[in-house]
Amino acid sequence: MLTPPKQIIYPLIKAPEFNAEFLGWLTVVFLVLAVMYFLGTFLIRNKLGSQGALTKDKKMEFSPMISEFLFYEDSNTKEEKKTYLNLKVQIRESIKNNFDRNVLTEVLLDLRKDLSGQSQDVLMALYKDLGLHITAYDKLSSRRWQIISSGILELTAMEVHEGYTLIIKFINHRQSTIRKQAERAVVSLKEEGICYFLDNTKYRISEWQQLKLLDILRHKSDFVPPQFSLWLTSTNVDVVLFSLRLIKYFKQNNAEKSIITLLKHKKKVIQLEAIDCIKEFYFINAIPTLKLVYPKAGNDVKIAILDAIGEIGTKNELPFLQHWHSKERNFNIKSKVIGTINKIDPESILPTSNIKKTTFFTSDIEEDIEPTIIVQQEEEIEQLATQLDETEQVNKPVELISEEKEFFEHEELTIPEVKDVEEITPETHDMDEEILVLDDLMPMETVGNELTEMDNQLIDLPQENTEEPIEDLKENIETELVLDFLPLVIDEPQEEPVLLNEGIDEPDFDFALEDSPLQQEELTVQQVMNKSLLDFKEIDWVALTEDVSELPMQETTDAIVFNNTSRANVLSLSADFLDDEELETMVLLENIADMGDNRELPVLQNILNNSASTIIVDRANELIQKFSYEMPRPAELFAPDNALSESVFAEIFHLSDIETQFILLDEIKKIGDEKEMALLQSLINGNNEALAKKAKEVLQVVTDNLAKTEKRGDDEMENNLFQLDFELELESATKSNSANSLKEGGSTLFDHLCAMSSSFYTKKNG
Amino acid sequence: MGKHVLLADDDQLLASLLNFRLKKGGYEVHHSSNGREVKEYLTKQRPDIIVSDIMMPYFSGIELIDFVRNDLKLSTPIIIISSAGNEQNVLSAFELGANDFITKPVSPTELLVRVARELNK
Repeated sequence: MLTPPKQIIYPLIKAPEFNAEFLGWLTVVFLVLAVMYFLGTFLIRNKLGSQGALTKDKKMEFSPMISEFLFYEDSNTKEEKKTYLNLKVQIRESIKNNFDRNVLTEVLLDLRKDLSGQSQDVLMALYKDLGLHITAYDKLSSRRWQIISSGILELTAMEVHEGYTLIIKFINHRQSTIRKQAERAVVSLKEEGICYFLDNTKYRISEWQQLKLLDILRHKSDFVPPQFSLWLTSTNVDVVLFSLRLIKYFKQNNAEKSIITLLKHKKKVIQLEAIDCIKEFYFINAIPTLKLVYPKAGNDVKIAILDAIGEIGTKNELPFLQHWHSKERNFNIKSKVIGTINKIDPESILPTSNIKKTTFFTSDIEEDIEPTIIVQQEEEIEQLATQLDETEQVNKPVELISEEKEFFEHEELTIPEVKDVEEITPETHDMDEEILVLDDLMPMETVGNELTEMDNQLIDLPQENTEEPIEDLKENIETELVLDFLPLVIDEPQEEPVLLNEGIDEPDFDFALEDSPLQQEELTVQQVMNKSLLDFKEIDWVALTEDVSELPMQETTDAIVFNNTSRANVLSLSADFLDDEELETMVLLENIADMGDNRELPVLQNILNNSASTIIVDRANELIQKFSYEMPRPAELFAPDNALSESVFAEIFHLSDIETQFILLDEIKKIGDEKEMALLQSLINGNNEALAKKAKEVLQVVTDNLAKTEKRGDDEMENNLFQLDFELELESATKSNSANSLKEGGSTLFDHLCAMSSSFYTKKNG
Repeated sequence: MGKHVLLADDDQLLASLLNFRLKKGGYEVHHSSNGREVKEYLTKQRPDIIVSDIMMPYFSGIELIDFVRNDLKLSTPIIIISSAGNEQNVLSAFELGANDFITKPVSPTELLVRVARELNK
């Protein structure tokens, strides 16, 4: 057999050799161990089971006995008393056996938990009477900690006060379970137990243990708490802490200095508890210490201190708080500082985060008012200059100029908001300086300044005009326009000026300045008012400065119209009173002017005949002329630009909702004619697709109907050619009658409305 | 012959004690240690009053009240024994028609008075 050269042959890996006999024995051992384990488990389980069953039986055996003992009464019958005595003997025999004694103890402890009232007292008395507490004492000397613990528990549950002296030695036991059990027992069994415990305990007292001890003390009847402040000097931190909590719980507020001193304690928990006590007892003397401790305290302590300062502090603490408000970096603490400041001085710090500036809300108003006012001011100045130029009023009477000045001065007086805020001094207006520097006022101030500047210039204008040539007027105006605002100083109270804005309430300075949002609203309203006040387009200064009687009638009328239309802005240059009757007549005439038409011509004629007053006569003549001129002509009545030429559906259509509009379109479809074309066309061109579609459909129907009617008319014309004369005469007569009636003055607004409704009715009913 | 009391409680010791006290008070007492027994008993017998613990195996006190009031349509007075602080169970028991309740630890004498009061209503 050939093998390849240089081939390496590896031997097979051999399995280790085992001794089969040894393996067999090992298997046997494990099997035995398994059997032993299962057997042991089985036996132990059985033993426990049988012991449990035995215990249960024993419990059931003891149960009626205990019941007999518990509910034994002296009033029982002899038979019952005999049974009771027998049971007592029997039970005493039983407890000689350890198992029975343990079971009986267990039963009594169980029942101790389930029973209350007199039965419980009897149960505890029975426990001692049967001498079971002796067994518990023995348990205390055991070397096993669980037995000691159960002994302490038994004695505590059955309130064996005699066991106190035996238990106190376990207070500092190294085993925590025994120690805790002993602590509870000591506190529970005797009133002085808490003092002994606080004096002697060296170990930590857990939070849970403190709660349990407090619970025991809480439920102790007739418990007189000692002065827990005595243990504030303890070297055990937990004793100090527990004492502070007990002080707080039992409201012992006679340890002020100690508690304040504890603010400087190294332990944070003690500091926190002391702060709680200070807050609880309202120790205001602690405030300086609280402030002293604050800078180097931890965050939790800082928050607790701020809380305490908020609770017991006064406004004297505000500088301290404001200092830390500016200095503190931690968000939580800074929030707490703000909260404390606001708690001491409510709303001293207002929300600033995510608050929009006032300009955001007022910018639109500014945009609306500011340019308009400026433009109007410029126009007025131009107009005034032009008028002066045209009429050569350089030598205008001084009285009139002074009147104008008064007018502007008064106008200045009636818009106090436009003054620069800085110029309104506290002396003159009793304002709060803090409010004056509010940024929120600034946007409105800007508008106000501009207004004031303009007004100031206007005030100065007439004085300049009296001394300078008219050619320099415009230059002066321009020069004056760039001047800074000068405050209007009134040294003496002026005589009651003629109010341009008579009837408009004087703004309340103090009120406006006390509340900035309200002030701004007031400013806005005032600016709008000022805007209207500065609108002088309607004022005919020429007419006002000349004698009214010398003016042509139209100009006089204009002047009167001015007086009426701008009643709110009445400028009365001279006293010209009408008597009551004339005044009433004038009011009537003005009402007629506002609302009347040509039907009032007889009334006007009557007034004209009866009145002797020149003003009334002039006004009545004017109105007669006006209404006579406005009498409707038949040709105009149905002119294309007249409303009557429109569809009767148009007005109601535009006032209706969509659903009604569809109904109206259906009506138009039935009775519409060429008048509805424009309306339908506008709807087709409109945005609403559904309406447009419907309108298109209706338009088609109306067009078809019109075509049919026209065709039918032509056919009738052809068929009744010889009957036309009569019909035509009748129609022409009707038309002429209608025209005559219109000419005779019957075409009033009411007639128009009647005609519209009749037309609509006719259309609807065919 | 005394009134018939059904005592339903799984705690044998306490039940025995209460049984003893009620018997001494002149009542005939039947003790059932779980809900199933109570249900069986109620289908055969009609006690004058039921004293039941809320926590029982198989059939809780709440279910027992529901069974008595809605299934058996009985107006038998029911007194509930509950642990202290078990407010929700007590409220549920009253909603379903329990007449009274007593909290653990129980005073047997107090229970006796309550039973007498319910039976005398």
